[in-house]
Amino acid sequence: MLSRSPYLRVTYAETNRLLAEPYQRILVGAIVLFVIGLPLVADSYFVHLLNLCFLAAIGAVGLNLLTGYCGQVSLGHAAFIAIGAFVTAICAARFHTPFWVAIPAACAAGAAVGLVVGLPALRFRGIYLAITTLAMHYAIVFLLTAYQANFGPSASAGISIPAPSFAGFELDGERPWYYALLIVTGLVVLFALNLARTYIGRAWIAIRDRDIAAATIGIDVTRFKLLAFVVSSVLAALAGSLGAYFTGVVTVEEFTLELAILYLAMIIVGGMGSVVGSVLGAVFMTLLPFMIDRLFAVLPEAWRFGTTTYGIQEGAVGVVIIGFLLFEPDGLIEIYRRGAIYFERWPFRYRELQSGGRR
Amino acid sequence: MEALVSILVLGSTYALLAAGVVILYKASRVVNFAVGELAIVGGYVFYSAGVLWSGQSLVMAIATTAAVSVLFGVTVYVALMRPLIGQPTFVAAMVTIGLAIVLKAGIVVIWHSRSVGLNLGRTALHTYVQGGNLRLIDIVTIAAGILFFAALFVFFRYAPLGRQFRGVAENPLLASQRQVNVNLILALAWGAAVFSAALAGVLFGARSILSPQSTIIGLSGLTAALVGGLDSLRGAVIGGLLVAAATYATARLIDPVMSDAVPFVILLAVMLRSPWGIFGTQEELNRV
Repeated sequence: MLSRSPYLRVTYAETNRLLAEPYQRILVGAIVLFVIGLPLVADSYFVHLLNLCFLAAIGAVGLNLLTGYCGQVSLGHAAFIAIGAFVTAICAARFHTPFWVAIPAACAAGAAVGLVVGLPALRFRGIYLAITTLAMHYAIVFLLTAYQANFGPSASAGISIPAPSFAGFELDGERPWYYALLIVTGLVVLFALNLARTYIGRAWIAIRDRDIAAATIGIDVTRFKLLAFVVSSVLAALAGSLGAYFTGVVTVEEFTLELAILYLAMIIVGGMGSVVGSVLGAVFMTLLPFMIDRLFAVLPEAWRFGTTTYGIQEGAVGVVIIGFLLFEPDGLIEIYRRGAIYFERWPFRYRELQSGGRR
Repeated sequence: MEALVSILVLGSTYALLAAGVVILYKASRVVNFAVGELAIVGGYVFYSAGVLWSGQSLVMAIATTAAVSVLFGVTVYVALMRPLIGQPTFVAAMVTIGLAIVLKAGIVVIWHSRSVGLNLGRTALHTYVQGGNLRLIDIVTIAAGILFFAALFVFFRYAPLGRQFRGVAENPLLASQRQVNVNLILALAWGAAVFSAALAGVLFGARSILSPQSTIIGLSGLTAALVGGLDSLRGAVIGGLLVAAATYATARLIDPVMSDAVPFVILLAVMLRSPWGIFGTQEELNRV
């Protein structure tokens, strides 16, 4: 009797599995084990960098749901993150609420702001929407600057907030934070992967590809566009809130337009319309300045352009954006996919016809 | 009198910036988010050219800046924009954002973020009754704005190349089938846009200070372009003057700090009220 091809899917459950092939399960299992074990061997500074990667990944997944899946370009992501951070600061520093009140409050505020910022998306597409969100970014940051200036004495250096504590246990130190952020990021990634597979994610993809066509097949474009903004800004606010607790201080100077562009860079580098890609992009863009720093430490003096590496680090973001858009527009995840398909189908060279969807 | 001159000077700078957006949007539907950075880098190039040709005439510095800016624009088109033909315009706009970051980093690396004021035409010609001086550079700025736009209008209206330009703006495919060299036209559009931005940057640097932070004037230029309509040169002039008037009035009547907020408040108002601007084509919106 012939054995069944491992690539043949017979039931719906098989086609819907997140990890369809055995090698994928092994790969993901290995990655999970690696990520759990990493802080046991890495030094504290590296764990700190990874924590920053987790925070970036949560925000990048949120932006990718909006821009990569639903096709709504947003330059306002830094403002959403700022809202999350500031609501956390207000809750924790002014009203002294515990974190399990502050974080949901930040997410709720993020949802409300996302709904408002999403309203222009009902009228505009593409570049006009990007310009509107750009204006929204400046408006929100302007308001928050005024708020921070009036917050109280010494607030100009930032609003400091206490570490989150629960039942006498205080979340402090890089390694405890690592596991906390790992769990949250894992949940966010799973949530986004599953959301992208449901009717919501499919509606978003339909709107991205052609909103008029989406409307004609019965998708409520208004509702789903707004939903995309709300989900995206909730995740951004979550990232901002966790980031506020993580750094212990909130200042409006962090939330520049450059940050919003950095998040766009993350999803371009990782892969538009790919949840896993956003995580890859977030890690890449977060580690990029430090990689350059390391590189410059090795390079001879003459190669350092005389100054600090600051300018090079800044410029590298632009170079990476341009480079990926020109040469690898589908991002890092596409490099992985090409490799995976090559080995999966070897010695054949064609892609599978029965695609399990992009992930 | 002083208010009028101030608004005209500011408006001329903004209109030149807006032209750096509008020319490109007209020709290729690409929104140039790098306009502020292009302007400030243009100012820095002028500064370096002035140092390089010090003792020589001002003309050399101006010529160098003009040549560098046009060449840079053409290079950007050939290296970055041409490979993206056929992609969504958002991708090209994103590349201009990347370009903006690289340019800003260039200021840090090449000029070490130094704050630079161009020593250009600071001689006072006339003192106002209320105080403050009318300086040579104010007149030069207004004249430069008028000359640049007059040249553009004449070029688009009467020059054969200008007609080809309008053809490309209207329909690149048909234009190319009528033997119009679309690549040449678009490369020229980039050259002209970068030149216009650099001119604005030089004029800005002569009255104020060039620094990495001053790239924020790009927002004013973008707003001016949007107020007038992204695909209308007339709109760039009117938009520049309107934004300048609003900025000036806010700084004078309310609070100078508030004037920083003027561009994006106008931007928001325009986007919500009539996103195609005053002279922009209305159905444009359905194509973006």
